[in-house]
Amino acid sequence: MSNDTPISVLLVDDEPTLREPLAEYLTGQGFAVTEAQSAAAARSALASAAPDIALLDIMMPGEDGLSLCRHLVETRKLPVIFLTARSEPTDRIVGLELGADDYVVKPFEPRELVARIRTVLRRVARGPSPDAEAEDWLYEFEGWQLDPLKRKLCDPEGVTVPVSTAEFRLLRAFLDRPRAVLDRDQLLDMVQGRTAHLFDRAVDNQVSRLRRKIEADTRNPQFIQTVRGGGYRFAADVRRKVPDRPQ
Amino acid sequence: MSRFLPKSLLGQTLFAIGVALLTTQLISATLLYRAAESRLEANLLNRTALALLVDPEARELRRRIEIEAAGQAMGPIRGPWRRIRTRISATPPIMRGEANMTGRAEQLASILESQGLRPVAVQLTERRAGDDPAMQARADRNTRFAARPGWADERLIVAGIQLEQGGPWRITRVSMLQREPRVIGGIIIQTAVLFIVLMTVLFFFLRRITQPLARLTDRMSDFSKRPDYSVTLEESGPADTRRLIAAHNVMETRIAALLDEKDVMLGAIGHDLKTPLAALRVRIESVPDDVQRLRMADSIEDITATLDDILTLARVGRSHHAWEDVDLGALAGSIVDEFEDLGRPVTMTGSARVVASVQVTWMKRALRNLVSNAVRYGDSAEVVVLMEAGQAILRVDDHGPGIPSDRISDMMEPFTRGEASRNRATGGAGLGLTLARAIAQQHGGELALKTRDEGGLRAEIRIPLAK
Repeated sequence: MSNDTPISVLLVDDEPTLREPLAEYLTGQGFAVTEAQSAAAARSALASAAPDIALLDIMMPGEDGLSLCRHLVETRKLPVIFLTARSEPTDRIVGLELGADDYVVKPFEPRELVARIRTVLRRVARGPSPDAEAEDWLYEFEGWQLDPLKRKLCDPEGVTVPVSTAEFRLLRAFLDRPRAVLDRDQLLDMVQGRTAHLFDRAVDNQVSRLRRKIEADTRNPQFIQTVRGGGYRFAADVRRKVPDRPQ
Repeated sequence: MSRFLPKSLLGQTLFAIGVALLTTQLISATLLYRAAESRLEANLLNRTALALLVDPEARELRRRIEIEAAGQAMGPIRGPWRRIRTRISATPPIMRGEANMTGRAEQLASILESQGLRPVAVQLTERRAGDDPAMQARADRNTRFAARPGWADERLIVAGIQLEQGGPWRITRVSMLQREPRVIGGIIIQTAVLFIVLMTVLFFFLRRITQPLARLTDRMSDFSKRPDYSVTLEESGPADTRRLIAAHNVMETRIAALLDEKDVMLGAIGHDLKTPLAALRVRIESVPDDVQRLRMADSIEDITATLDDILTLARVGRSHHAWEDVDLGALAGSIVDEFEDLGRPVTMTGSARVVASVQVTWMKRALRNLVSNAVRYGDSAEVVVLMEAGQAILRVDDHGPGIPSDRISDMMEPFTRGEASRNRATGGAGLGLTLARAIAQQHGGELALKTRDEGGLRAEIRIPLAK
């Protein structure tokens, strides 16, 4: 993807009142937009166009966005961002399970949507990270469990310990590279994701928050250890386990 | 006392039947015992009478004749004759200090009379064998008898009749030791058998009624926690219970249908309002005046927040979120972090581990509302998570003016806002506390508000601890 060819976007929403101004706005931002008012229209548009990314409304008459998403991910390996009116986390999980890359909740800030489109495309361009294939496993360390899909951390007694998005990403970065020394820049790079602005605070601050949640004694941490000379290391064995998730 | 009584249907029924059974058995035992007593009494008097009917001298005479007739030499009387208890005596049977039992004596006289014996005087008394001179004499003579343990404590009836005025007394001694064996023991065994059989049968029978009831109760009490209403409760037990369960199932299905309708409707409302809002939000990007555009964006955000609150409030009690055992300290911590990241003066103290079964998204929302109220009206918020009296408490203290006590319950009603927020800038639809209260109630708990003595408002969500 070079800078001179515009990024082409497939925009699928049954509401012309939203679709039209959004297409206009995205065009204004330098995207090449193909509009479709239904899943069927989107499928036929795909015959002639080869978009870089799809923005899908979930609730549409006829075939809904979830079904279209499955089709796009399976046949075209197309990055997908959902535009959803609902903010229930179950919708998010369903969407991400189907292979969508991100979602925004209506009414969204148009600038944020543009930022997310760029983030997703940047990530796709970096090539599939080993984790992006399927997130269908659990991390286990010293009895703790982290479910990457549900973003759920459970302590050895099975009690859920709520973590923020930033904490989740940070912990996951550690769990992907146990016992490796990670400096602050690396951590910042790895945890910067869909919503980079969430992670503009110092890494140290996030590390200390995470420690408060998982360490028995934060002054003498057993898991996330500070390495002299800058950086942190996750000092426990991590296993990956396939969960028995109901299909 | 009453706290020892059983509370359940099964327990109370078994208890009532047990008490009734015990009472009837007690009454019949008493009656049986009294019948046995009077039979013993009659028997005793009959034996006494029988002993007195025979003239001991005549009996001895006949014995001598029989022996002589057999051509045997007359020797001293041996064997059973030594035990003859009827004797002739010049003195009356009652010794000094003893009373004549006139009631029994009269009965004895009437028995004798029916046999044709009309004594001029009848005396009867009860005596310890050890106090009786005749028995004492026998013990002196017979060492084997004397060695019998407890003979001296046996009770005797000593009775005498005088056949003519001033004549000798015919006296007899009859042992009172003649209980009908095991009258009471029999009743106890019978009662025990009845108890065991009846209680076992009743227990299994009653359980057929109470088990379905217990299942129904469980089902009704976690109605709001159930994710799926399609499986109805199986009808079991007797017809009455089955009808109750069937009626409940119908009602449950109806409620589930209503809730489904509500969900669909809310989803539609949300969708139909949010799409034009999203369109508006996109369109205002073309407003060239930055100040105007930001104000419009704020208004849209306000409307969205209010809409979200309304939709959420309508959905409380009906959500598909999983219930999880959650570390409330960590949950509160992530809310505090959110506010900290925005530069708001929110702090958290204490780090006791408090675990409760909650729906994380909802509980976060409730706490977020309380903290944001505290920041808005009370300048700053201090969050504490603690355990008290079997409850988990999420406490938010602020340093604002608090709420007058007569306004507290009003504040939890929808669309009520404190005086301080009359201007729109401080925003909110006045649903924050309503929502927090609804969420607390959904978790089987409550929202408590009070103005602290040292000033500032204290808002607490109290929910039951995880089992």
